[in-house]
Amino acid sequence: MTRNLSATTETSIETTPRDWRAVAAATGSGDRTAAEAGVRLAYTRAGLAEPERIVWAASPLAAVELLTSGSIAPGAPVREAVRNGPWAAERARLHTALGTNGYSAHWRATGADLWDLTNSVVERIRAGVIDAAAGDRKRERQIRVLLLDAVLGQHEAAWLSAYDTAPGHPLDGVAAVAAQAGWWWPYAKVAVITERPLELHRDEAGRLDRGDGPALAYADGFVLHAWRGMPVTAEFLDSLRSLTPQRIREEENAELRRVMLEYYGYDRYLTESDARPLHRDETGILWRIALDGDEDVVMVEVVNSTPEPDGAYRTYWLRVPPTTRTAREGVAWTFGLGADIYEPLQQT
Amino acid sequence: MYRQGDVLIVALAEHAVPEHARAAMGEKRDGRGRLVLALGEVTGHAHAIAGPGRLIREAGAFGPMLLHLPEGGRVVHEEHAAIGLPKGWYRVVRQREYVPGSVRVVAD
Repeated sequence: MTRNLSATTETSIETTPRDWRAVAAATGSGDRTAAEAGVRLAYTRAGLAEPERIVWAASPLAAVELLTSGSIAPGAPVREAVRNGPWAAERARLHTALGTNGYSAHWRATGADLWDLTNSVVERIRAGVIDAAAGDRKRERQIRVLLLDAVLGQHEAAWLSAYDTAPGHPLDGVAAVAAQAGWWWPYAKVAVITERPLELHRDEAGRLDRGDGPALAYADGFVLHAWRGMPVTAEFLDSLRSLTPQRIREEENAELRRVMLEYYGYDRYLTESDARPLHRDETGILWRIALDGDEDVVMVEVVNSTPEPDGAYRTYWLRVPPTTRTAREGVAWTFGLGADIYEPLQQT
Repeated sequence: MYRQGDVLIVALAEHAVPEHARAAMGEKRDGRGRLVLALGEVTGHAHAIAGPGRLIREAGAFGPMLLHLPEGGRVVHEEHAAIGLPKGWYRVVRQREYVPGSVRVVAD
């Protein structure tokens, strides 16, 4: 809270106008020729000879399997020279130009939000590759190390957005690959580069999210399933189609039960459980679902004040602390306020 | 106090405005020159203000944020009716949801 933002923190540093959010979320094949040119440029910028070969793989899993198969002799990893070195130099240059406060303000204004979003996807992919490819502990260690050699292609978008990556700048090669491809592995003799996923499904908050199939899917069948950011299995998602209120009540894992309730629909569950509202006022309706061996689910049902195009008013449900006693107290809590203070003059 | 979907805009008394906020440059505007109070990742729908003003981000990824409208302004969103705001300082609060063990932000 003692951050000192002053007039000197103006972010006047040039960044390349590219839609980095779109880059991070892009799906389908990019321009392979442009991606390969980016790889060669990144080697050249690092003072290295261009790779003898550039090999494409369909997914990070496919790349890891190729690199551990022994069928290519890629040479030593050069990620440090190709990515980390130029990045550290650019970061130091910017940090010197802006100062510590200025640099952190610049980061907040450029890459910070996208970083959080992209990083959660990156972590899921890492975990998914390890799950799918690892066998014994020795192989798992080998794969973990290999994942550290990767440059993340489109998933480098967040930090790249903080720098000038126009042609002629130190990060132009890495940025050119990011614009066209997924993760890539630079080695002295060979670069292995992967296609972007075919499908990416996210919720409005940017988290991996899909109820009827994989949230992230690559062309070779490497897939990840998630519900509002939470990792789930394909089998669990399949089981959601035949849910019953009883099945929901019987689920012992609280997180999975929450997913079940969200998928099934709170309103439907409440109707079929003959639930009665706890409280009702002009802010909304407060509901409670009692669950054995777990804290009650207490929710406010809130109505948007602007009608949808068809004239209906959209209702949404927000879970609030189980101690909530009135609808107003619940809605006020969702905005971090006390019930006595919450009093909108106008709402739409 | 004004609510537009999942965003609450609370008037802030002049004396309650932190000194560092008065001097801060504020957040960049989006490609359409607007101050974006909250953005939906997938639809790209935004709670946004066109005219003059500044948006100052405080600690945390989603705020709270402070909004200064020296001449008043209008908050628009693709799915909600616009709201007119008198001139002054505001705190912008994003709606959150209770999750046992943590709290998560809502996005509409």
